[in-house]
Amino acid sequence: MDEHWAKVEAELKNFRPGPNQECPYYSCHFEGQDCSLCFCPLYPCMDPNLGSMVKARSGGEVWSCEKCYWTHRSDVAAMVAERIPATPSPPPRPFLDRVKKEVEAVHPTSAMPIMVLGATSGAGKSLITAALCRLFSDMGYNVAPFKSQNMSLNSMVTPAGGEISRAQALQAVAARTEPDSRMNPILLKPKQDDVSQVIVDGKPYRDMDVPTYYGEFTMGEGVEVVTRAWNFLRRTRDVVVIEGAGSPAEINISEREIANMRTAEIARAPCILVVNMEWGGAFAYAYGTIMLLPPEQRSMFKGIVLNNMHGDPSCLRSGIEELEARLGIPVLGVVPHVDHLLPDEDSQDLAKEKGSGDVRVGVIMLPRIANFTDLDALALEGVKVVYVKEPRSLEGVSAVIIPGTKNTVADLKWLRERGLFDAIRALRGKVPILGICGGFQMLGKEVVDLNGVEGDVGAIWEGLGLLDVTTRFEEYEKRTVQVTGRLADGSGEVRGYEIHMGMSESREAPLFVLDENGKGRNEGAISADGMVMGSYVHGLFDLPAFRRYLLSRMPASSVRTAEVDYDRSVDEGLDVVASVVGSCLDMDRLVSILKEGLR
Amino acid sequence: MSSIMVQGTSSGAGKTTVSALLCRHFALRGFKVAPFKASNLSLNSFVTARGEEMGISQAYQAWACGREPEGDMNPILLKPRGNGSCQVVLAGRPYADVARGRDVDREVLREAVRTSFQRLVKANDVVVIEGSGSPAEVNLRQDEIANMATAEMAGSPVVLVGDIERGGVFAGLYGTYALLEERHKRLVKAFLINRFRGDESILESGISRMEELLGVPSLGVLPFADLKFPAEDSLDMGRGQGGLVKGQDVRKGWLANLDELYEMSMEQLDYATIDKIAFS
Repeated sequence: MDEHWAKVEAELKNFRPGPNQECPYYSCHFEGQDCSLCFCPLYPCMDPNLGSMVKARSGGEVWSCEKCYWTHRSDVAAMVAERIPATPSPPPRPFLDRVKKEVEAVHPTSAMPIMVLGATSGAGKSLITAALCRLFSDMGYNVAPFKSQNMSLNSMVTPAGGEISRAQALQAVAARTEPDSRMNPILLKPKQDDVSQVIVDGKPYRDMDVPTYYGEFTMGEGVEVVTRAWNFLRRTRDVVVIEGAGSPAEINISEREIANMRTAEIARAPCILVVNMEWGGAFAYAYGTIMLLPPEQRSMFKGIVLNNMHGDPSCLRSGIEELEARLGIPVLGVVPHVDHLLPDEDSQDLAKEKGSGDVRVGVIMLPRIANFTDLDALALEGVKVVYVKEPRSLEGVSAVIIPGTKNTVADLKWLRERGLFDAIRALRGKVPILGICGGFQMLGKEVVDLNGVEGDVGAIWEGLGLLDVTTRFEEYEKRTVQVTGRLADGSGEVRGYEIHMGMSESREAPLFVLDENGKGRNEGAISADGMVMGSYVHGLFDLPAFRRYLLSRMPASSVRTAEVDYDRSVDEGLDVVASVVGSCLDMDRLVSILKEGLR
Repeated sequence: MSSIMVQGTSSGAGKTTVSALLCRHFALRGFKVAPFKASNLSLNSFVTARGEEMGISQAYQAWACGREPEGDMNPILLKPRGNGSCQVVLAGRPYADVARGRDVDREVLREAVRTSFQRLVKANDVVVIEGSGSPAEVNLRQDEIANMATAEMAGSPVVLVGDIERGGVFAGLYGTYALLEERHKRLVKAFLINRFRGDESILESGISRMEELLGVPSLGVLPFADLKFPAEDSLDMGRGQGGLVKGQDVRKGWLANLDELYEMSMEQLDYATIDKIAFS
């Protein structure tokens, strides 16, 4: 024993945190382990979670902590070393036990799990999980995200060379830790409707069709893979925020499915159900999801989060009360729709695809966007429509379209707030810029609304100034009319309809000549260089002529806008999301759900 | 006169497409058909030949019926203006701007729905009614107009559509049904699952369980289809965009696609039961 303590004393005196890759025995516990406490000051702790008695070579029994990860976590090692003096003889056992307890209170020997499940895909699980990772990290916990099985084509490579889904990589950033393939041990990358490439522990395993995956893989190997990954995370973290996949109530496959309740059972995790409010039917989905589960799984649910609420949540009160009464599970809060800039699982945003050869048209995603169905027809020309909420998304677009809006004045203000006002102006002459209806009004020099018809107060608002056009809102009057006509240069027909308040006066050449009472009426505007266009005609792309007209003005190669610091904007986005989620949920209750676990 | 109503477990469940299929089905069988949706919350609108403003989906459904759109097909159109305020278009004309928290008299709205519906019923053999959002918004039970209130007013049988693309379809169907009031549950005559990808046999056990729990038959499973309706609201953005529409004129192309979808749906949907429900 004294021999052991002498080594402890030496390593405490000369404390060297981090892995010791020179050691011939590295990695004796786990890859990336902290070797500073190679000889454990707490030995023998006799904690059955960390070791066991084994037969000694010399006969008799001896305490083995061969399988302990705990004191080989850097945070635990540092905290233990700080509390134990490098004395020549070992401190008394009660002191060591007290130190272990103190450290355990901060860094449990097995992580506290909490699981976020959704009533559907796209319920907001990923984002809520990311927010919880950041919130628990803010509380000082060492946090990891975990999603046993993810189906996504958006993957990334971890520092160790494993492939995991981007959603878990983002959650790792939220947890302020490095992405690790054990955070997403099974990744399904769909190849066709029924076949996926199955990535296990970060490496391609094999292609499986649905019957093979559920019939052969999940309940055998699958459970082993998940259990192994969970065991690693639980032994190296304080908190693991687990994300489910899709809905746990797919009653046709629930017995063979591992991503939801099976994972919750493996980790013994208290569960939170997230429901998306945006699509409607949230109460029904919440109720149906819980009630279709067997009773023993129902009781694992400790809270419900109503997510992605647009508008005032106070109108939900009676519904929330009814849901809580019917299910006996508290609603932990209503999270509003967060207009965040984080990439979502299925967006190409993070991938920042370049050089795909696709022609992309940036459509400004105005908050009150109207009649964006106008743009559907553009896809017929092989053009990819991307919705743009921030300047960086204009990177590489071949045209910009400002669509209609229900409120020109308010959305002009939004353009400025978002930095899009200047970003659009900077593209003047480089790519064609088209405004439809409200977007047309914005392209002009000013919007005159002296009676406050459109805005809250009467005022003259400055437009983008790309067309010499003035729009006036004088009366509460709305023009609704079907129109036909042709391009002013005679190159083809146009058909559509006008729905707008406000009238525009143009000093530019007209874009269209519409039929009216047997005569032609000039409509819309086009700048002298032909690169800025505006019109009130909805449906203007329905017939091919104008689609081609716009296309013919696109530059041969895409135009680059300024780069932004992507990592920083992601990190800031995570803070925003975490603070919104944290302020909307009953965090005290959530923390007690975490700490109580499943009794 | 007869009617059938399509309600969904959420917005975007596929009510609009299923309604259009039913419109096409009855029209091709020689009936005079009209689409009807009491209330649309949408900034995507259409203008009829008479200058009436209406939801664009009912315009397309009218074309599926082989006729021109009429304002009666969508008597209430709510156009959100931001900050909780809304422009109310009634029977095709702007009626009022309503600020947050201030309601238009429900009776005025209900009357508009009744009047338009009755005109349609008199002039047609079948009216295909589309619901709005989910009928199980328990917090809005008193105020709703466009789902069970319309079904009751019309005395119409209801078909519940669940969207499987987002997952949770069984939970959505079961939860929607379970949260309805008893008298409304009785109006539900069938359900169907929409937007399925892959091998249907995997759903069988779930569907039988649903039939037991709801006590009504499944009409079938519609595969994911690329019929691109103009999106009703911004939620559908990205969902409805970028699909293939044949031909040069979007409307004609859309109709051609609908016909293809209808043809395919004959093998997927139990139209005999649909007829029985509509004409019982």
